[in-house]
Amino acid sequence: MSGNPIKAIIERLKEFRRPGYYKNYDHKWTMVIDLDRCNGCEACVTACYAENNLPVVGKEDCGNSRVMNWIRVERYVAGEYPDVKVKFIPILCQQCSKAPCELGCPVYATYHNQDGLNVQVYNRCVGTFTCATYCPYDVRRFNWFTYKWDAPLEQQLNPDVTVREMGVMEKCTFCIQRIRAGKDKAKDEGRAVKDGDITPACAQSCPAGAFTFGDLNDPESRVSMLAKSRRRFRLFEELNTEPSVIYLKKVFADGGGNPPVGGHTLAGGHPPVKEGHGG
Amino acid sequence: MPAVILQLRKVTVDKRTYSEVNKDILRLMTKTGPGYYAALGIVASLAGILFFLPWAYQIYRGQGVTGLNVPVLWGVYLVNFVFWVGIAHAGTLISAMLFITKTPWRRAIARGAETMTLFALILVALYIFIHMGRPWNAYWTMPYPNQRELWLNFMSPIMFDVFAIGTYTTSSAVFLYFGMIPDLASLQHQTTGWRKKLYSTLSLGWRGTDAQWTVHGRATMFFSSFIMPLVVSVHSIVSWDFALSLVPGYSQTVFAPYFVTGALLSGLAGVMLMFTIMRWAYPFLTKYVTDYHYDRVGALILALSLVWSYFTCMEVFTGLYANTSLELEHLKFKILTLPYFKLYFLMIFCNSILPLSLIFKKLRVSRPFMLFLCIFVLIGMWLERYLIVPNALSRKFLPFMWHDYTPSWVEVSITLGALMFFVSLFMVSIKLFPVISLFEVKEDIGIPMKHEHRKDGA
Amino acid sequence: MGKGIIGLYEHADDTIKAAEKLKDAGYRATIFSPVPLVHEIERSRMGERPNYIKWFVLIGCLGGLSFGFLFTLITSAMYVLPRGGRPIFSMTPTLLLSYETTILFGVLWTMFGFLVIARLPVFFKKSYDPGVKVDSFGVLVEDLQTDKHKEIERIMHEFGPTEVRLIENEQP
Repeated sequence: MSGNPIKAIIERLKEFRRPGYYKNYDHKWTMVIDLDRCNGCEACVTACYAENNLPVVGKEDCGNSRVMNWIRVERYVAGEYPDVKVKFIPILCQQCSKAPCELGCPVYATYHNQDGLNVQVYNRCVGTFTCATYCPYDVRRFNWFTYKWDAPLEQQLNPDVTVREMGVMEKCTFCIQRIRAGKDKAKDEGRAVKDGDITPACAQSCPAGAFTFGDLNDPESRVSMLAKSRRRFRLFEELNTEPSVIYLKKVFADGGGNPPVGGHTLAGGHPPVKEGHGG
Repeated sequence: MPAVILQLRKVTVDKRTYSEVNKDILRLMTKTGPGYYAALGIVASLAGILFFLPWAYQIYRGQGVTGLNVPVLWGVYLVNFVFWVGIAHAGTLISAMLFITKTPWRRAIARGAETMTLFALILVALYIFIHMGRPWNAYWTMPYPNQRELWLNFMSPIMFDVFAIGTYTTSSAVFLYFGMIPDLASLQHQTTGWRKKLYSTLSLGWRGTDAQWTVHGRATMFFSSFIMPLVVSVHSIVSWDFALSLVPGYSQTVFAPYFVTGALLSGLAGVMLMFTIMRWAYPFLTKYVTDYHYDRVGALILALSLVWSYFTCMEVFTGLYANTSLELEHLKFKILTLPYFKLYFLMIFCNSILPLSLIFKKLRVSRPFMLFLCIFVLIGMWLERYLIVPNALSRKFLPFMWHDYTPSWVEVSITLGALMFFVSLFMVSIKLFPVISLFEVKEDIGIPMKHEHRKDGA
Repeated sequence: MGKGIIGLYEHADDTIKAAEKLKDAGYRATIFSPVPLVHEIERSRMGERPNYIKWFVLIGCLGGLSFGFLFTLITSAMYVLPRGGRPIFSMTPTLLLSYETTILFGVLWTMFGFLVIARLPVFFKKSYDPGVKVDSFGVLVEDLQTDKHKEIERIMHEFGPTEVRLIENEQP
């Protein structure tokens, strides 16, 4: 029996040397966004503003690129007028498994939790901007000023979400308050979290149903099914950040979104996403 | 070539020469004219108006008063941070590296350069606080046991900075004070009043016995050997703030040596600028900081400028060779877009083309020319950092988020005010402490010998 | 406290010769100088001094190295916060920060060693002449019996001093 404590210590040390530390996430929350369904209506952006107490900064600061949106719909225009095609891609925090932002923070204000989420702890943040600088997706937002809501509007702030202080970095949380509520409810009812229990605000509001949210660890969930799609890709996969947001898009022979004359596609080529986390 | 202090070398070294050194430095420290007070008053009040007031305003209103925006979150403050770390490198180069290589001409200018190092590092620390979103929580970045359930991410390049700059500041301060002990002991008997008290306390009772001098020399050698690798590590670590990210213009393996070279170049220019101004204000310093120093430092600036030019070419070359759309976009923005096009070629002119003139000895020893050159090298080095820090962020990955950056009045004002703050700190310090090392200058003049002549060693 | 005889000289070589001769005569002579005379004294018969400071530096460096290692590893094991898909015990930052702490502790212990070996700070006023810090060289012989004064003064006078006098240590 004397060997056991030493064995335990060695096990612990091995755990500390494991990349990413977690062997398996409790849940691997994943968002699948079907770009073929997105029509760029920005209902998701509006829903996010309402759900997460995002301040509205006004015209001038919008021009200075200081918008506080946690999700944005990027518009790219292809072709010359009048033969113009506009492509939309909603971009939110990609909740990378190997997030560059987590490395940059000196005070652990951002770290990886056991649900595979890249969480931001507002109280720890000192505002060195390193995380946002390192982020390849530009999804982090900074509280440039103390933002105020005009008289009746502060009544509609979401009580489940904090109002952030000046000088703090913030970003999309995959609506962590809803994840927590969903888990609590499942626990109260004495069952595991079901697929469809939890829906972030953006997914809930999308009229086209482009967003699907779920647990990639559950092989029966809708996201697991969609993740096997041949249309799947992840943004900047070559940077090896391992994002948790999967985009679906049919890619045609001309490299754009234009359906070809003969109907030939370049779809496929990407292997299905790995189940769970790389441990 | 033995070390020369040209004018003093002509007379035989004796008792009078040594006391003259003390007298000169004391004159510099105690004889203060109205010109000094006027200059200090102007500089200090400019520091207050341009530096502290806007900073207070920024803390009150938030970082929004700067020109920063979402892709460009590191602006002029980070530029200044890197610039002042660079200035801080000269002192160490001159006092540590040239000590180890036994370069004789370092002795007269080493103390001034070390003082510059310390004050530049004070500005570096200030810039870290200035650029923070919540500077009142700055102590959260310090590793000490606390009740906040909060610890530090040792993986963060910013944390490397905290350690590297903390070590550098501590070491520079210790080294500066250590070198000053014999001088303070020497001045203690020639001053009165509060100065006497201050110097007697700080000199710790140094008597100058042979045992003390022996251990002093050995300790200097150890300090130099420690500080030399430290100086290289500090600026490489500062460059890793950028190079360890994924951003196209930042993720460059060439950054560490590039930054170190640039730091030494700007630091030497800073030291020579400082001594040129001091020689103008106190003409008797010409005895100590001679044309010979200008000649040697000029040659060193020339060499460093050539190394710097090589790295600048390599930075562009590796980007072009990689030939990815990201790198090309970054280079196009940094070099060919209009406001930066001009700045880029001004930088090349300041740092590569202008220093080439230093191959002529006449220009190296010409005081007005060196003044002009040093200012231009400093401007060029500042521009180098400016072209790297915000510009890479302006063209990150997603074109939808591309946004340019222009510094706001707060940032410009703090930049200028911090320079004024540095100058006023320096001006106060030359009155409080000997800016030229007494015992090293005496050693440089030569040791009075009746019979044998000392071979010039260290 | 003790008494001493100090001889002040204008030239360094005279000073060293006087010290050598005093040493030959069996006295403990201390040389004072405003500039380091390390090489001259090493070349003379006064001999080289033992190099103790290197042990302080070694202790500092080893202490700093182990401090850096243990500090980073133990604290990251205490605060298990996974980040960026990297292991908790990550070697790169550990080595880097140990490098910095090695230098930091090395510098601090060098300073400490210097203070210890140079016997600083001094709380008792010790005997010396102020001139030796500015422009003259001196030889001091301390703690002697009165009957030896004549001999010491004679030796000191052989090398052309500017002044030879008796000084006393003062109490603080």
